[in-house]
Amino acid sequence: MGRDTETAVPAVRIEGLWKRFGEQVAVAGVDLALPAGQFIGLVGPNGAGKTTTLSMVTGLLRPDQGRVEICGQDVWQDPAAVKARIGVLPEGLRMFERLSGRELLAYTGRLRGLPGAEVDKRATQLLDVLDLAGSQHKLVVDYSTGMRKKIGLAAALLHNPEALFLDEPFEGVDPVSAQTIRAVLERYTASGATVVFSSHVMELVESLCSWVAVMAGGRVRTHGPVAEVRGDAPTLQDAFLELVGVRGRAAGEDLDWLGGGAR
Amino acid sequence: MTTAAPAPAPVAGAGAAPTASAAVLTRTLAGLKLALLRNGLKQSSGRKAVWITSIVLTALFAALQLLGLIALRGNDHAATFTVLLAVLWAFGWAVMPLFFPAGDETMDPSRLVMLPLRPAPLMVALLTAALIGIGPGFTVVLFVGSAIATAHGAAAVAVAVLAVPLALLICVALSRAVTTANVRLLTSRRGRDLALLSGIVIAVGAQFVNLGLNRLSKAGGLEALQPVADVVRWIPPGSALDAVRAASEGQYGLAAAELALSAAVLAALMTWWQQGLTKIMTAPDASTIGAAAPERKRGGRAGRDGAAADHRPAGLAGLLPDTRTGAVMLRSLRYAWRDPKTKASWVSGLAAGALVPFVNAVQGSGSVWLALFAATMLGLQMYNQFGQDGPAFWMVLQTLGTAREAYAELRARTLALALIALPYITLIVTTTAWLLGKWQQWAEVMGVSLALLGGLFATGALTSVLAPYSIPQDSGFKNVAPGQASIAWLGMLGSVVGAALCAPLLGLVIALHVTDTHDLLWTVLPLGAAYGLLVTWAGLRVAAPKALARLPEILTAVTKA
Repeated sequence: MGRDTETAVPAVRIEGLWKRFGEQVAVAGVDLALPAGQFIGLVGPNGAGKTTTLSMVTGLLRPDQGRVEICGQDVWQDPAAVKARIGVLPEGLRMFERLSGRELLAYTGRLRGLPGAEVDKRATQLLDVLDLAGSQHKLVVDYSTGMRKKIGLAAALLHNPEALFLDEPFEGVDPVSAQTIRAVLERYTASGATVVFSSHVMELVESLCSWVAVMAGGRVRTHGPVAEVRGDAPTLQDAFLELVGVRGRAAGEDLDWLGGGAR
Repeated sequence: MTTAAPAPAPVAGAGAAPTASAAVLTRTLAGLKLALLRNGLKQSSGRKAVWITSIVLTALFAALQLLGLIALRGNDHAATFTVLLAVLWAFGWAVMPLFFPAGDETMDPSRLVMLPLRPAPLMVALLTAALIGIGPGFTVVLFVGSAIATAHGAAAVAVAVLAVPLALLICVALSRAVTTANVRLLTSRRGRDLALLSGIVIAVGAQFVNLGLNRLSKAGGLEALQPVADVVRWIPPGSALDAVRAASEGQYGLAAAELALSAAVLAALMTWWQQGLTKIMTAPDASTIGAAAPERKRGGRAGRDGAAADHRPAGLAGLLPDTRTGAVMLRSLRYAWRDPKTKASWVSGLAAGALVPFVNAVQGSGSVWLALFAATMLGLQMYNQFGQDGPAFWMVLQTLGTAREAYAELRARTLALALIALPYITLIVTTTAWLLGKWQQWAEVMGVSLALLGGLFATGALTSVLAPYSIPQDSGFKNVAPGQASIAWLGMLGSVVGAALCAPLLGLVIALHVTDTHDLLWTVLPLGAAYGLLVTWAGLRVAAPKALARLPEILTAVTKA
């Protein structure tokens, strides 16, 4: 944290990004410049357009309008250059689950053009660090949610990308696996790489990220270093609820029978 | 009816949480079943149509078989038929839920596991709920028809009044007991994989039934089944229906024994079912324990050191090149074996490719040309390649940056198919020629097969790129996601074009035959091989840049299911 965010070329520059699905506008003109070498959180309620934005940024979904540059290269003009430099872990999209963890990494590595011996060395280390060595010969389809996220992370890191995009990497992950993922990501950003991840768990974003962008209704509501976005609010959660415009609803007035012993 | 197992009074211990009484529970579950049936009608208009059609068809079929059974009345071997039918039908009841695990939500006791219910009242309630529905209704009609076909005299009718409900209850209880005993399997990944292969099992089973019926009609009808029926009538629910016959013929002792046997088996089934229910509702779910446990068998092999030494996969897989081509081929071949949908597609392709020429050849009406079926069925595997990847296609997408890589990807998939297709086609053509003793046709059929395979590979690659669609992974019968049927038809149209691409070779064969230059027919083989290779290459060359340009669109299309 505390690195200078304004000087260098941004890791990701998004200009006027739009996406409609029929009547529904999923992303309504996003402009954003994400600083390089930081841990960046993309937060927002469900349906804010986080996944759609990340999909368009990583080349998985064609935007209706707008430009995306990663490390100075246009994602949709020069996909070859960009794809070699980024790692992606989408949410809700399955991997080749009928391969074992190790087979999946071997396959991904060869597709990335890495030599076999190198793939194997990296895969062994990644499996080890991510605590998957004991399950490396099991099919991914039999993995738990946490294990899937970890093997997905390993596949995304295998080619040593400059920027990593993770959609809800901690969703449904147990605390032990979450800590493992977290440690790996922190080590990765410490080397100067950029991590962009989406989440709706504010506490996590607050403790992990140095920079944050808040999305709601397909737009970016605010962005900047975490302290700036938090402002005077006690926590990022409060600042977020304020921004998104949700007042704390008095819950429980109609639930007077709930709790208190006998029915 | 004889269902009324004594329902224990609800336990009302001091301070205990209330549990539902047997009567309330039975009413609730029966109501739930009716609500689920009714909701079938509230679904989208398409499903509604399917639902109504299935009910109308079932009713029609039930009426027809009822008429058929009534027509059988008076036939000497009517009882032989009804007994066999009852046992086969009960077998169907036992097996069907294994293939259609999601067919009935009230059937799944794990949905009730959190409720404070005792097994005995729960069982009565579940059994009652199980009696509501299309299947039990059809079964009642079937057994009533069987009783009408065999009951002669008042005593027989009296026996039938007992036998029909007994037979029905045996079917339903058997089905439930088998489901309960296998519920762990049915909810596990392996069980779901198994269910996906059910389409093939049913298709193959239908062939056997077909063959059996043919035999039967040749062997002189029901009489041939008499020896089988003599054994089977001691197997409930066949015994219940044979009791009707026995009573008609005055063998009252036998009838009583058969009824008693049926009742005893019903009681045994209920006990088995209850034990299964108790076990499920109290034992921990083994599936999560299994998944969380670290692997023991091979885990030690690739330790933290020395793994770099053997980075090449063992065995034949090690012969594949250490590039994208090798990785993609290996993945494709692994999926043909490990992915249930891909496996089902391969098995049905391989089976049809062999059965059509062989069966015709054995029956003496065949032609070596029917061996083209093998090339067709295997060539069709190239269609909708990315749909076979499904949502996992994003992993491929992320690594495709140039047209060259896209070409390598498509070529590797084609090579993996060819690795199986080429030896298989050779085998089928050779065997067909051998069965028919027409060796002189071997070369020309081989040549046209290779050209056809090439045409299908080429158009398969193109339609994979231009008309991709999702394959639902959760059903053994649906191969197109809702709303994408027209795209799938477009793909099938491509296969017609692919087949037409081998026209030049066919033209050559016809020309050689017409001009009587039979000694040049061998040239069809090398020409067909070269032509197939050329067409495949051209198809992949055209498809590759289009694939690269359409990557996000392909991903969207294959993630609909």
